[in-house]
Amino acid sequence: MALAKERLWKVYRDMVLIRRFEEEVEKYAQNGTIPGFIHLSIGQEAAQAGVVEALKYTDYKFPDHRGHGAIVLSSPPERRKNCMSEIFAKETGVNHGRGGSMHVNDLEARNMGFNGIQGSTVVTALGTAFDSYYRKANKMAGWEDENKDLDVTAVFMGDGTLGEGTCHESMNLAATWKLPLIYCLINNHYAISTHYTESHPQKELKTWGEGYEVPSYRVDGNDIEAVIEITEEAAERARKGKGPTLIEFMTYRWQGHFSGDPAAYRPDGELEKWQANCPLLLAKKKLMEVHGYSKEEIDAVHAEVEEKIQGYVKFSLESPSPKAEDAVKHVYMDRVVEGR
Amino acid sequence: MSRKLTFSGAINEALHQEMERDETVFILGEDVAKMGGDFGITRGIWLKWPHRAYDTPLSEQAIIGLSNGAAVCGLKPVAELMFADFVGVCYDQIINNSAKLAYMYDGEASAQIVVRAVTGGGIRCAYHHSQCIEPWLMNIPGLVIVAPSTPYEAKGLLVGSIRNRNPVIYLEHKLLYNKKGDVPEELYEIELFKANVVREGKDITMVAAMTMLDYAERAAVEMEKEGISVEIINPMTLFPLDKETIMDSVAKTGRLIVVQEGPKVMGYAAEIGSMVAEDIFEYLKAPLKRVTSLDTPVPFAPVQEDYVLPQYDDVIKACHEVMTF
Ligand SMILES: Cc1ncc(C[n+]2csc(CCOP(=O)(O)OP(=O)(O)O)c2C)c(N)n1
Ligand SMILES: [Mg+2]
Repeated sequence: MALAKERLWKVYRDMVLIRRFEEEVEKYAQNGTIPGFIHLSIGQEAAQAGVVEALKYTDYKFPDHRGHGAIVLSSPPERRKNCMSEIFAKETGVNHGRGGSMHVNDLEARNMGFNGIQGSTVVTALGTAFDSYYRKANKMAGWEDENKDLDVTAVFMGDGTLGEGTCHESMNLAATWKLPLIYCLINNHYAISTHYTESHPQKELKTWGEGYEVPSYRVDGNDIEAVIEITEEAAERARKGKGPTLIEFMTYRWQGHFSGDPAAYRPDGELEKWQANCPLLLAKKKLMEVHGYSKEEIDAVHAEVEEKIQGYVKFSLESPSPKAEDAVKHVYMDRVVEGR
Repeated sequence: MSRKLTFSGAINEALHQEMERDETVFILGEDVAKMGGDFGITRGIWLKWPHRAYDTPLSEQAIIGLSNGAAVCGLKPVAELMFADFVGVCYDQIINNSAKLAYMYDGEASAQIVVRAVTGGGIRCAYHHSQCIEPWLMNIPGLVIVAPSTPYEAKGLLVGSIRNRNPVIYLEHKLLYNKKGDVPEELYEIELFKANVVREGKDITMVAAMTMLDYAERAAVEMEKEGISVEIINPMTLFPLDKETIMDSVAKTGRLIVVQEGPKVMGYAAEIGSMVAEDIFEYLKAPLKRVTSLDTPVPFAPVQEDYVLPQYDDVIKACHEVMTF
């Protein structure tokens, strides 16, 4: 499918935004400003931006540990700087610095956040998918109309994460009950140092979903048009109560597992091959060669994004740290934990 | 012959030497073989013995399940949990199989496994990669929890854990990996279930493990300047505890401080405190003190993590409190 040129233009800008976001995060992680460890999604922008683009604001999103892109794009423009300042451990962060890179969530945007335990969100996602299924079945307020669409849940998971038993339990239940779920399986070829062919017997991981009679696809995860098309199709099926879909997005992470990992386990030339297949380059080429955008227009997008990103960085650097004593907040609801 | 080794180097050496000695010992876990482990602890093993080092899928339940089954057949698996927090994923295998196989098989077979688990906070990795998990496992009879604090202990206790016929959760504090200390070149074993009196003293008994031992040692030196003598006990095996060594010491000093990294509720400090209150209450000259984390998850922001974790000054304060009661 080809996207309307305005839409391709829009998602190109989204991808530039998250690429630049990650590059800045990397820079400040490397120089020690950002604490903890950081998993970067550079090279995987199309799968992140495309899935979010194909969903509604009111659909549930579970980004994974390599999910800054989906996180940023799920939040409305005015809150994106707060996603960055969360990663910087600042009070202005969407979660007041309590969670950081691995746990950025924004409930209003239905970004449900990540659980640092791989595979954990894959079962939690059953619950958000269940919510509208339940409300509709019980004709609860706002759900009386039989033709009303269900809210979709999209859960991101890596090729390695598929090894967790939770993934199987989730898919079995979702397929049996026909829950509105999309399993966004980001196959970036590695789980830390382990290639996906060394931890799974299948040549194509999508065949794994077929065992549960779940429609399963493998697509070029760097081709944003393909990502959007297949995700929209899956979302439509989910909304109509026809159950889950598994999509294996083939892509590659350019950095090591975490910022600072030299990734010595990759064969020579592999990275370069994937860099030539950069999702941003592919979209840009199409915009210029097929849709006739000029170099000046492209440059203007980059300049516009740059200004935003610099604004996020400045905001993050200038924001104060959270108050130490706020660490005791929200341990329980309606109950206070003693501080120092 | 002894020379300086890091804590991580000592663990690595223990694995190499024990594997050299005993062909039933093998390692498994995520990225432990070809890459040599996420923290580099198992490096070189796969190169030496490609059929004794296994990179598994991300499947903690399968890792521990396989270990349990293989152990029953006489193999000695050493599994790695990249972060101890992931123990939740394989909890059933550990508490319902590892811990109970000896009981179930009338002592004819057991889960002689070692689960190396990377524990503790202090690296700004928030609530899913910083937890002290020992209390989650400490009321499961049948399990053993070992917690080395120095490179010397790391090597000897790992060897002791591999040879012990029970399932051992061997905790490696990530902040200790680069700590250096004297380690004998030859293979040696430190007996499990025995605490170590690290420093003798007569006024306060201070029990501390892993990174907290450093706080205790610094505090003892500082207190000495004030004329207060601190006896330090490093339990080495957290569960089951060496009750006798701890009791003897508290009976002598009459004062007890337990420094424990995890939350206050139901940690080993609580158990040690109960033992003392139950058995030697009459020897106490002051109420016992627990220096611990707050009862919260571990937050990401550095100022908040520091606020939640026990700090060195808390230990000093506790010393003054027990001395001035
Ligand atoms: C239960 C559990 N096991 C192991 C880990 C450590 N870990 C974090 S990410 C990761 C690799 C994940 O690989 P994949 O799912 O392919 O995602 P990618 O990192 O490639 O994006 C591992 C082993 C974890 N966080 N949780
Ligand atoms: Mg992967």
